[in-house]
Amino acid sequence: MFLDFVEGPLWVVACVVFIAGALWRIVGIVRFGRRPDISIPRASALVGAIKGQFLHFVPHGGFSFRTRYHLIAGYMFHLGLFVLLVYAAPHVLFLKENVVGFDWVALPRWGFILSAEFAFAGLILLWIRRISDPVMIKISDWDDHVASWLTFITMLTGCLALQESHDSLRAIHMLFVDLWLIYFPFSRLMHAVTFVFSRGYTGAFFGRRGVVP
Amino acid sequence: MVESMDKRLTFKRLACGAFVSVLLVWVLSAGLTGSFDLQNEAYAQTGGAVPGKTLGNKSDADIWRQMRQGQSFNLSGTAIGTPVLIQSPGEEWRSLRNGPLSYWGGLLMLVSLIACIGFFLVYGRIKIEGGRSGKNIPRFSQAERWSHWFAASLFILLSVTGLFVMFGRYAISPIIGKEAWAVVASACLEAHNLLGPLFVVALVILLIIYMKDNVWQKGDLSWVFKGAFFSDPPPPSWKYNLAEKSWYWLLFFAGLAISGSGLVLDFPWIAERVQQLQLAHLIHGGAAVVLIAASLGHIYLGTIGVEGALEGMTQGTVDENWADEHHGWWAKQVMGSTETDIDGSEQVAARDEMPAE
Repeated sequence: MFLDFVEGPLWVVACVVFIAGALWRIVGIVRFGRRPDISIPRASALVGAIKGQFLHFVPHGGFSFRTRYHLIAGYMFHLGLFVLLVYAAPHVLFLKENVVGFDWVALPRWGFILSAEFAFAGLILLWIRRISDPVMIKISDWDDHVASWLTFITMLTGCLALQESHDSLRAIHMLFVDLWLIYFPFSRLMHAVTFVFSRGYTGAFFGRRGVVP
Repeated sequence: MVESMDKRLTFKRLACGAFVSVLLVWVLSAGLTGSFDLQNEAYAQTGGAVPGKTLGNKSDADIWRQMRQGQSFNLSGTAIGTPVLIQSPGEEWRSLRNGPLSYWGGLLMLVSLIACIGFFLVYGRIKIEGGRSGKNIPRFSQAERWSHWFAASLFILLSVTGLFVMFGRYAISPIIGKEAWAVVASACLEAHNLLGPLFVVALVILLIIYMKDNVWQKGDLSWVFKGAFFSDPPPPSWKYNLAEKSWYWLLFFAGLAISGSGLVLDFPWIAERVQQLQLAHLIHGGAAVVLIAASLGHIYLGTIGVEGALEGMTQGTVDENWADEHHGWWAKQVMGSTETDIDGSEQVAARDEMPAE
């Protein structure tokens, strides 16, 4: 009954809020526009924007030591979560039945578990940095913590349901998936989408001035 | 006359009873063997499901005895080779796990908890005697703090799920019912198995990072002889006193035992025989309850037990007076070091003579 609710009406509501909310935020960002750039263009802003998308996947060489911890933890978490989300067999089945209508090759169970290990380790390490790094403590607010914990609990409930033998565990996991989707557009979780805009803007700004972004 | 008639009647009744009994046994036997002449082989044996067939349809007690004693059998026609059909030592493992291990383990943790509460009631929170100086000195680097919290967060998750699995059937199942308990147990087991390997990695990193300062040094024992926690003010010590060093080495040995046995349980194909898994399980549970019991003391002293201790692990620095009172020799070392940019207070420099390292 509860499972029907969280996989039925609540799932639909969560998806609508997620998509509509994310679009609303994106449109809002785009509508901000930007101030006219009166600098003399020395190179292409567009090329700079594209370069910026890729160059920022790794930190500037001068900061490699200071960024090593969150670079590694960040990639562990994001790649682990992505693989988990898209290639775990139960997710592939769910997405086929409820979203896209077709399936794709899922990871074997060991791959699924391994990606979960990476995702958990990365998320815990990132949160520890948030609460123990003097700078991170100052720039973190409740939204960061709620987003971290909501993501962690969603992952943890998924892990609790790994045996796939109890509907109640699946229902709890789905409840947190729905809550996560609803929370996403109104929080810093939106960085999963907005990073493209910020990198593009920075890249274009410096690219126009002939500087590698 | 009447007496002899009674005797005859009794004999007739007995005879009738015996006949009916024999008939009943014969009918049952015929039903089981599928033949009224009782010469055919039993259905199960003709089907080949009972291993051996050495004694036909007669009592196969020898085979059952061998099975009970853990002898392996060649099950021809099956893909499972020569399995042990009844693993008798499993009963010993079960009774150890549900008996002494659960009982003494539970008691140990309870005693540890009561000791912490008792210590708090008697001594209260150990304050910084000289008050806060307002000046901090570095105690834990970022690497030390991050590795500590990484291992600690996993330790807490694994302890909770592990204790649920170990004691849940006694403590939780009667409250929430068997069906709900089955759900909780399944959830805890999955989380425990998934997060366990991460703890192994976290533990190894932690042990490596902290090893340098936890090697026993001259002066460690004097900390104990001078009263340890019960002395006011606490005796001087190096960066870690003997209790902290003991906690480290307990973590080292018990933690590695938990990790090794846990990996065997998580990846059971590592083991060659099921007895190895049972042994791993006992080591895992035994070492875990010892470590959890000790961790209660560690958590107590690191949080509410001692004023100013927690900030070392959250912010990386501690108050100078705290350092001087609890780790006098270390404080003197740090404040006398030219590598740190802090001012050493005179009182620390004047205090406790440091033993040679």
